[in-house]
Amino acid sequence: MLKLDRKKWVAVFILLVGLTWIWLSRVPPGTITASKPEQPRQGFSAPRFALATTRGDVIALEDLRGKAVIINLWTSWCPPCRAEMPALQNVYELYKEDGLEILAVNSTIQDTPDAAQAFAEEYGLSFPILLDMDGAVSELYQLKSLPTTYFVDQQGDIREVVLGGPMAEALLLVRVQQLLGVQP
Amino acid sequence: MMPILQVGPVAIPLPAILILLGIWLGISLAERHAHHYTTDPDQLFNMALIALVSGVIAARLTYVARFPSAFSQNPLDIFSRNLGLFDPIGGLVFGTIIATIYAQRKGMRLWPTLDALTPAFAVLALAYGFAHLASGEAFGAATSLPWGVEWWNARRHPSQIYEIFGAALILFIFLPGRRNIAPSGVYFLYFVCLTSGLRLFLEAFRGDSPITIWGLRVPQIVAWVLLAAGLWLAAKRAGSHSSIPGTSSQEN
Repeated sequence: MLKLDRKKWVAVFILLVGLTWIWLSRVPPGTITASKPEQPRQGFSAPRFALATTRGDVIALEDLRGKAVIINLWTSWCPPCRAEMPALQNVYELYKEDGLEILAVNSTIQDTPDAAQAFAEEYGLSFPILLDMDGAVSELYQLKSLPTTYFVDQQGDIREVVLGGPMAEALLLVRVQQLLGVQP
Repeated sequence: MMPILQVGPVAIPLPAILILLGIWLGISLAERHAHHYTTDPDQLFNMALIALVSGVIAARLTYVARFPSAFSQNPLDIFSRNLGLFDPIGGLVFGTIIATIYAQRKGMRLWPTLDALTPAFAVLALAYGFAHLASGEAFGAATSLPWGVEWWNARRHPSQIYEIFGAALILFIFLPGRRNIAPSGVYFLYFVCLTSGLRLFLEAFRGDSPITIWGLRVPQIVAWVLLAAGLWLAAKRAGSHSSIPGTSSQEN
């Protein structure tokens, strides 16, 4: 009986130590609201960049603050990139008016501007096609697999990174609805 | 960090492969040593397989049920390979329910079965740590300690390495045959307590914990509740065993 009682006291002691540790290791309130560093991964602020489109305009990610943004890194020769583009176009047409923007960043260092332009025309893409001529954005976003897609919220934070593809249209629809806070 | 393993034109998600490998190794280990816990190895393997398959199917169906309009426009996406179209909680719940139904129909006893599965859970926890390392998830909080690693633009705790070491230690402790704790169930419950305690401790060094009021870390609260439940149930099992004279170590 004495042994059992001692075990109970040990259990209570362990639980109290646990509670103390939870309190001591809490995240200080000031650090929760601090601005997030820029890193190409979920939970961080999306690294800023500005690139020229195939039409010659320059688009800066920072200027799209307040909109939900999908950044899709792709090349014209990559089969999964080709496979998911129609779904991206469909979702863009559905939610453009609700504040969705898609930046299709062609990793032109592994492609050519002409091939990117021809691809956009072939698929009837109406969102901007950005040319990463020197690979700086591919490097900034630590591109490891083609395609790679970043879902960025209205505050400029990355909500999700999808490595590889092709992404199903259902996946795109759900993520965009969640980003925009709209009912399906 | 290597979230994608590029094999020619095929991009393989390495974290998912590591989890699958952990499941396979864990089930194999549990099956091989099931007799230590008076559990039929074939029944244990079948139960784990049924739980796994039904869990995966349920995870997808639960996701479809949560977002029906997305799939009504694209019904073939139900069969998509996208890992983002699974609901892990739904899969876990339904997989457990199906496994429980199977176990009941086969007359498998709860506590010896959980004891027999404990090595599988321990291997899975280790695989989970390696999956975190591969994906870069569960990264550490910033630190100035000398063993900190440069990660995401800061010197951070190598939290995934802590996780791997902790899980490896627990696996070593709970290797089949190393312990013969009476009565049945206590072996599993001690594993729950130790794993919860480890999570409670290590979560403090993570830089991506979900936070609730007063800056408290949600996983620590969940781990504390599991630790309390594990300790209470273990004491109850041990108490009921000691009150029955002549009970053997493998009785339920």
